[in-house]
Amino acid sequence: MAIIVNLDVMMAKRKMSLNELSEKVGITLSNLSILKTGKAKAIRFSTLEAICKILDCQPADILEFKPDVK
Amino acid sequence: MEIRITTKHILWVLYILAWIIFIGLSIEAGGILFNSFYTMFIKPMGAQFFWNKMDLSGLYAADKVYFIIVTVLMSIVAILKAILFYIIIRAIHHRKLDFTQPFNKALPRFISSLAWLAIGIGLFSSWGTNQSKILLAKGISIPDIQKMGFGGADVWFFMGVILIVIAQICKRGVEIQTENDLTI
Repeated sequence: MAIIVNLDVMMAKRKMSLNELSEKVGITLSNLSILKTGKAKAIRFSTLEAICKILDCQPADILEFKPDVK
Repeated sequence: MEIRITTKHILWVLYILAWIIFIGLSIEAGGILFNSFYTMFIKPMGAQFFWNKMDLSGLYAADKVYFIIVTVLMSIVAILKAILFYIIIRAIHHRKLDFTQPFNKALPRFISSLAWLAIGIGLFSSWGTNQSKILLAKGISIPDIQKMGFGGADVWFFMGVILIVIAQICKRGVEIQTENDLTI
């Protein structure tokens, strides 16, 4: 998919584990894992807002657009 | 005391009904196959006392090829009907129909297989009906279409088409469900 999730990069910058983030954001570890590995089909604004608030970053820091190479 | 009929109860009743129908259809298919084999290779008299008290002696005496065509069509229709009910039994037995999350991948596959089987039954029933009409036109005496199991070809076709449409809707439902599950 052309949208790349850089959640792991931001988590590394903030030195935050997946468990900690999941607890603070209030979503399950499995859902956060789906998001981190790029398997998610969509993300709710409320989830994005919560993640950005906890990681103190902008949506663009987490999501990136890279066109697919054919 | 209030008696509540839940999905589990309905499925349980359906399961028993499907088993009864499946056994009946299997016996019918086996009976037709056995009688055909018996008439063809052991005793031609068997055509007179065919399965379900049918008298196919006129047909057998007229032409053996016609007899084979009709009995093969009867067997195919009976076998397809038995397979249809076997698929229903299997789906209920293995709990493929999950009512807590109904739009799973097994559902459209299950409905599609039922649809294609229904169309197959319709096709062979229609073929059998037409074959019977041709034989009657030739002056060969044959039993009633209903008795031979060729009745209701149009109903089977109708059911098959409706099930294909439902299967397509379910397929889309599965896509939406997957998308919903992967929305974080």
